Amino acid sequence: MLDRLGEAVSVVLGALAIAYLVYEIDRRRRRLRDLFHVLDGAEADISADLLNMVESGELKPFFREIPA
Amino acid sequence: MTVRIAGAPANSGEVLGSAADQPPAETLPATTHRNGESSSISRFRIFIVDSGWNSAARRVLHENFALIRDLQKDDPIYVLDREKSVEFMRRHGSRIGRDPIIAVHDMQALNKGGTTGFHGFRLSLGLLRTPQHALMGLQAFARFLVEHRHSADLEADIRARLRREGFSGAIEIAMHHEAREIGE
Repeated sequence: MLDRLGEAVSVVLGALAIAYLVYEIDRRRRRLRDLFHVLDGAEADISADLLNMVESGELKPFFREIPA
Repeated sequence: MTVRIAGAPANSGEVLGSAADQPPAETLPATTHRNGESSSISRFRIFIVDSGWNSAARRVLHENFALIRDLQKDDPIYVLDREKSVEFMRRHGSRIGRDPIIAVHDMQALNKGGTTGFHGFRLSLGLLRTPQHALMGLQAFARFLVEHRHSADLEADIRARLRREGFSGAIEIAMHHEAREIGE
């Protein structure tokens, strides 16, 4: 009886440990994605917005001025 | 010939370009930018969106902007002033609180496939809550830009890097080591 209980506890603890590991890895992956990620179709509207500002002349780059 | 580093044009750079925030004028060897035109070798276009939250990330960006600009002198940097940044955030509300955001457009990819496929990458610096994390994030970002500016497949490089980060994070968790902090 005690053996079975011990086994059951071990299985539950093992499952919890694995679940925590999966959760933690997934959480970090999502956080990293929030922090740093590629620009693709999902962010097309944002990129298009920035491009429009450049093309319309609304945004100018920083520049280096050549003295006369 | 020397060139004088100028501040932002009148319609940009308020956020990073106020008198107090501007680094002192200095001289550098003549390079590729003249009268605001980027050189033909520009691989990237860099955008900085900063609506002005009083944050550690914002301060770190201000303090290191001159260096970032010098490291990326082959690529034009566009800084949205506070007004434009706020308008931008109003149009893209999900980004509020993540700024300063540095978005980098890969002109090579953009010219090939437009904005529907891969066309660059971005760093949401505002998610990094401490000055140390923000500085490390900015440095890693600058390093990535310099190291990959001639990459034949930038998307593959970025995804490989993200996989590596995920894998090393998993090992750290499994080994019960001090977790790699990314701004928490």
